[in-house]
Amino acid sequence: MINRTLPLLLALGLTACASDPAPTEQMRLTEQALAQTKSLGVVSEQSASLRQAEEKFAQAQAAMQDGENKQARLLAEQAELDARLAEAEHLNAKGREQLTELNQRIGRLRQQLGAM
Amino acid sequence: MKAFGHLGGLMLVGTLLSGCASSQLASEQALEEARLSFQSVKEDPSVLRAAPKDVIRAGESLGRAERLSNYWGSGDDVRHYAYLSQRYAEIARQHSDISLNQERAAKLELERQRLQLTLREAKLMSVQQHNGWLEEQMVSLATNETERGLVMTLGDMLFDAGRADLQPAANRTVLKLVQFLQINPQRRVRIEGYTDNTGDAAENLELSRARAQAVADLLVDLGVEAKRIQVAGYGVDFPVAENASARGRAQNRRVEIVFSDERGQLGAER
Repeated sequence: MINRTLPLLLALGLTACASDPAPTEQMRLTEQALAQTKSLGVVSEQSASLRQAEEKFAQAQAAMQDGENKQARLLAEQAELDARLAEAEHLNAKGREQLTELNQRIGRLRQQLGAM
Repeated sequence: MKAFGHLGGLMLVGTLLSGCASSQLASEQALEEARLSFQSVKEDPSVLRAAPKDVIRAGESLGRAERLSNYWGSGDDVRHYAYLSQRYAEIARQHSDISLNQERAAKLELERQRLQLTLREAKLMSVQQHNGWLEEQMVSLATNETERGLVMTLGDMLFDAGRADLQPAANRTVLKLVQFLQINPQRRVRIEGYTDNTGDAAENLELSRARAQAVADLLVDLGVEAKRIQVAGYGVDFPVAENASARGRAQNRRVEIVFSDERGQLGAER
C-alpha cells in the first residue's frame, strides 16, 4: 500500500513530474500497434479510432521531445488502445462483409434450386 | 468595506472551487461511463470467452481510476484510466462480435457447401433428363480460337428475353465449363456480355453486364473461386453479325467466355 501511495503523493506534490522516466517502451508498443493496424490496410480517413491513435501518438512524440514524460506516456497508452480498437473494428467489419457474402451465395443457391 | 472584502474573498474561493468542481464532475462522469462499459462486458459470457484478457484489463484500469479518484487533484489521471478501461471494454466487445460472426460464418459455409452439392447433383440430373437434343438446338457451344484466346459463346436462347436469369438449358454448358476449370486450376476466365442494338444503349450495357454476372455467379455457386473470374459488359459494341436481321440480332445477343492461357494470363479487355 505504501509502495502505491508514496509515488502518488509525490506526484500530487510535484506537478512538474520531472522524475517520470521517458516512456520509451510504451512508445515502442504504441508504434507496434499502429503498424499492425495499418498493415491490415486500415487508413485514418476511414477509421476515427486510427485517426485518434495517430494524433495522440504524434502528440506523445512531441511531449517526449519537450521532456514531458508523463504526458507522453498517457498519450501513448491511449494511442495504443485506440490503434488496437481500430484493428478490432476493421476485423469486425471484414467478418460482417464475409457473412453478407455467404448469405448472398446461399440465397442464390436456394433460388436456383427452387427454379429447377 | 469589510462586507465587500468578505464578498470578494467568497467570489475568489467560488471561482477556484467551480474550476475544481467542473473537473471533478468530468472525472465522475468518465468514471461512471467506464463503470457501465465494464459492467456490460463482464456480464456478457461471449465477451468473456472471446477476450478475457481485455475484460480483466478493463477492470484493472477502472479500479485504478476509482482509487485515484479518492485523491485531490488527480482528475487527469482518473480520466486517463477511465478512458483506458472504456477502450479495453470496447476492444473486448469487438472481439466478441468477431468470434460470434466467425461461428455464424462457419455454419453458413457448411450450409453453402451442402446446397452447392445439391445444386450440382440436380443440374447433372437435369442434363441427363434433357438427353442432349434440346441443348444442341439452343446452345451455340462454339469454342473458337481467336486473337483474344479461346472463346466460348453462350447464345441468347439461354436467357429469358430482356432478363439476366440463365435458363436450365444452359446447365450442360455451364457444368462443362466448371469441369474444365476444375481440371485446369491455373486457367482463369473473363465473362463478357453483349446485346443487339435495339432499345436503349445504357439499358443494353446494363443487361449485358447483368447476364455476364449471372454466369459468373453460377460458376461461383458451383465451386469456381470468384477470383478466377472477371466480368465485363459491352452492350451493343463488338457485334458478330449485322443487326439488320432478326437472325443477326440473335447472334449478337450473347455471353462470351474468354479463357486465359495455362498460366492464368488473360488477354486485355476490349
